[in-house]
Amino acid sequence: MVNFRHPALLIWLLFVNSQLAIAEEAVADSAGEKNVWPLAVAAQSLTEDDYLGEVPKVLTVSRLSQSLADAASAVTVINRETIRASGIVDLPEIFRLVPGFYVGTNAGYVYNTNHTVSYHGMTTAYSGAMQVMINGRSVYSPLFGGVNWSELPLAIADIERIEITRGPNAASYGANSFFGVINIITQNPSDPAGSSVIATHGEERNEVFYRNAGKLNNLNYRVTAGYRQDGGLDNRNDFKRTRMLNAQADYQVNVKNGLEFEFGLADGARGEGNINEDNIVFLPRTKQIDNHYALMRWRHNVSDTSDFSLQAYHSYARSDDQTTSVNILPLLPAFAPFLAVDRLHIKNEVIQKRTDIEAQHTFSVGNNIRTVWGGSIRRDSMYAPYYLASKKTDYFDLQRLFGHVEWRPSEKLTFNTGAMVEHNDFTGTDISPRASINFKPNRNHTFRLGISSALRTPNYLEEKFQDRLLIPMTLPNPLGVNALVVQFRANKGNVNPEQIISRELGYMGKIGRLQLDVRAFSDRINDVIRFDGRTDFTTPVNTFLLNPLLDIEADSANNMGSAAVEGLEWQANWAFSNKTKLMFNHAYVHIRETQPDLKRNFVNSMPRNTISAMVTHRFDKNWDASIAYYQTSETTLLGDGDPVDLIRKCDVRLARRFNGRNWNGEVSAVVENLFNNHYQEFADYNTLERLARVNLRLDF
Amino acid sequence: MLSNTYKNKRVVKLLALLALISGFVPFLAQAYTGVTVVVSAETPVNAEFVESFKEALASGKNGRLRVKVIDLQEVEKLVVAENSELVVALGVKALEAASKLKHTTPVLGVFTPLPTYNNLLVSSKRVLGNFSAIVLDQPYTRRMALIKTVLPDVKNLGILLGPTSSQDSELLKDIGEKNTLNILQENVTQEADLIPKLQKLLDSTDALMAIPDPLVYSRETAQPILLTSYRHQKPVFGYSQSYVRSGALAGVYSSTKQLAQQAAEIAIKSQLAPSLLPPPQTPKYFSVMVNYQVARSLNIQLEDEDVIYKKMLGLETVE
Repeated sequence: MVNFRHPALLIWLLFVNSQLAIAEEAVADSAGEKNVWPLAVAAQSLTEDDYLGEVPKVLTVSRLSQSLADAASAVTVINRETIRASGIVDLPEIFRLVPGFYVGTNAGYVYNTNHTVSYHGMTTAYSGAMQVMINGRSVYSPLFGGVNWSELPLAIADIERIEITRGPNAASYGANSFFGVINIITQNPSDPAGSSVIATHGEERNEVFYRNAGKLNNLNYRVTAGYRQDGGLDNRNDFKRTRMLNAQADYQVNVKNGLEFEFGLADGARGEGNINEDNIVFLPRTKQIDNHYALMRWRHNVSDTSDFSLQAYHSYARSDDQTTSVNILPLLPAFAPFLAVDRLHIKNEVIQKRTDIEAQHTFSVGNNIRTVWGGSIRRDSMYAPYYLASKKTDYFDLQRLFGHVEWRPSEKLTFNTGAMVEHNDFTGTDISPRASINFKPNRNHTFRLGISSALRTPNYLEEKFQDRLLIPMTLPNPLGVNALVVQFRANKGNVNPEQIISRELGYMGKIGRLQLDVRAFSDRINDVIRFDGRTDFTTPVNTFLLNPLLDIEADSANNMGSAAVEGLEWQANWAFSNKTKLMFNHAYVHIRETQPDLKRNFVNSMPRNTISAMVTHRFDKNWDASIAYYQTSETTLLGDGDPVDLIRKCDVRLARRFNGRNWNGEVSAVVENLFNNHYQEFADYNTLERLARVNLRLDF
Repeated sequence: MLSNTYKNKRVVKLLALLALISGFVPFLAQAYTGVTVVVSAETPVNAEFVESFKEALASGKNGRLRVKVIDLQEVEKLVVAENSELVVALGVKALEAASKLKHTTPVLGVFTPLPTYNNLLVSSKRVLGNFSAIVLDQPYTRRMALIKTVLPDVKNLGILLGPTSSQDSELLKDIGEKNTLNILQENVTQEADLIPKLQKLLDSTDALMAIPDPLVYSRETAQPILLTSYRHQKPVFGYSQSYVRSGALAGVYSSTKQLAQQAAEIAIKSQLAPSLLPPPQTPKYFSVMVNYQVARSLNIQLEDEDVIYKKMLGLETVE
């Protein structure tokens, strides 16, 4: 903790302190000049400027989101209070409270053990069918798809709310906004000002975060630093130790212009390797991860009805995984005399970088039309010699143009239509359109009918992976072979994007204290990307392919068949009183393959029924408690997943607040899996147990 | 008759006391022949005021008043005007300068917040009859009438008070009661409490009414207040045009022209008795401003500003 990124922290503090000095001078100057009446009066007095002076436009056209009743898709909003009540320590866990979502703990055993989060199926360890953004920055990884949740330089305490679009929204967020979009929004930098210490101690878990936020003249800032230690599951080598730093600032240049800055770092160690899965080559080991990003955004308020923003960000993610196999000589007795090594050393370093620049213009025409349009360019770079079988850095370029129009011909009707055109190096130029109509017979009821299409660009795993083991041989041998090869993936490339066409009928209603959100959907997924064994590939010259001898198939991704996903999901928020609230979610998802007998089909890649519920109750000013319940029916997940049974999970949380003169505090206790000490999630190698932890928060 | 009496009990007491004292001061001044407008700076708003003020005077029956405009740099000219003129001071700085004139010179402040006027009245030791103002603050009755007009369902109205505005606490409760609004209030004594107290308030209220206070509502706090309220999906009722433009749902305000009209009416009425200026008053004429973009985002359906204004006018006339 202490020696963590000293230089960066120092620079930040210097910056902050110099601003402070400037701020003080500015105050002194203006006091000297404008002191027209006794200071005691001046300091306290209102002037005409407070009424007549210009106030920077806060809720600009672009900041004002569509009312949920006007939105083109079903949207679930998870706010701070819900996050707090749920008692979660790992961010992806919160998505269990979103209808139709599946969350699997520590899924996968290659690259990183990580939560998988999916919506409506096709769940693999890296579920790549959803776009995930943090403050407008895409954290979707092009390597396996999906998000490395534990590597995000983000503290849960800094999150203001999470908006989850259920359904494709490529017209606004581009490719990979396939089944849905997760948009994480952090708190305003200085909101609230002051310092906090947040510490958690529990079974397999220790965390501590410190945050400081404040305001210096026109600059609002927040710095959060933390350390997180997660012991992982009992029977797995999946520990995670993460150090993180996140800083955000916004600077109001003048009434029309504002600048926003973000900066984050996360690094640490990860347990990797599952002895049950591979006891020869990829053995249990420790790898290092290193992530950072920086973002800058300029917001310009063109007029009362028009806003412009320009943002640029760069992100970097490195994973340094080195492994040494067991002695392979006894395993390959026939080749043993000729092998150059008895153990394989594999250096699997992966460096992913992303640079993205986006311009966006939002404007309204009259009171009935609102438009947003813009464009972006992105370059992803990928250095992964082991996976790509090449020491060259691979580049993936992406250009986008998007537009969206909301038209409200009357109070009762809203039309939304939009499209995104994008061009990328893998699949060329594609277009994703959408359209929807919202009918609002009155303020409390809304019906929505929508159709939308989106694409999922194949990720590197599906397009370019050529990972293999090379076992060098020394002796010049009669066959002219100088290495043995075990080929895992041999992608042919030129995979087309998966396409989804989603039709939905939605209802949103408010009946007294009950809020309802119901969505019936029928999705068609075409050109489904699946892996299939292949034999028509070539290995490097003078090598000998071991696959046939070891009965290992080399896979290549192809577009094969289509699937239909149909169902109904609903969310109810019921405030029994100001003190007691219930949130209830249920989704019924039915997946069909339109082509029978396909290998690895999707039919069970999502539990048929998922249920989640949370009751929160406030006893008095100081005490509150919550109970959360999660249930998923049996399922067989893809990509590292296994058949798992029906799961019932129950978490409870009890909290007490304390107030001092200059501080506020909260102590809470959480028991996870209260009634269930052993169950499998995502795969049979993941056994979850009852866990308890205590959390302390101090604001001063 | 439009309701324009200010109901702050503390101020009323103060005013009564000062009026009593002023009764013993002999009337030295005579009917004035001109008005001197003191401006602190040449701004478009001040220019518009002068223009409208002249027009309004000209349309008056017996008004043939000269209008002279001087800025703060020409303080020595103030002395010349002292005996025979009505001084209309635009803005706080101008009023502060004018308050230092001979105590017999009638001074009318415009573009001045009420708390600041009260401070100047006390610090200058002037008397009410020749130191008055049309304050920038809209009467609370009118502001609450707007809330009830646009959102009849609002029951709990949140107010965030600071050191300056907290003196209106009781008054706000009384007026709230008359408008069937349950006033929930939080007092902010230091800047750090602002957002936590606001959040507490937003949890239990249907809407927020912004009340000017240097600690609570300022250009700097507009962003956190409006953003926090918006995240709670609670509408804010602003106290100025720019606050509504910035992100409040609606507000009542008086345009420069409307204030100039009222000032001209006072000038004409008190021409013959310069030391008997009417007591400080809230704006008589007003307009309604609605931020339709915010309304739409909050899924609130609002009528046209004109329609709302006419409904409110109806309410004030009934009173």
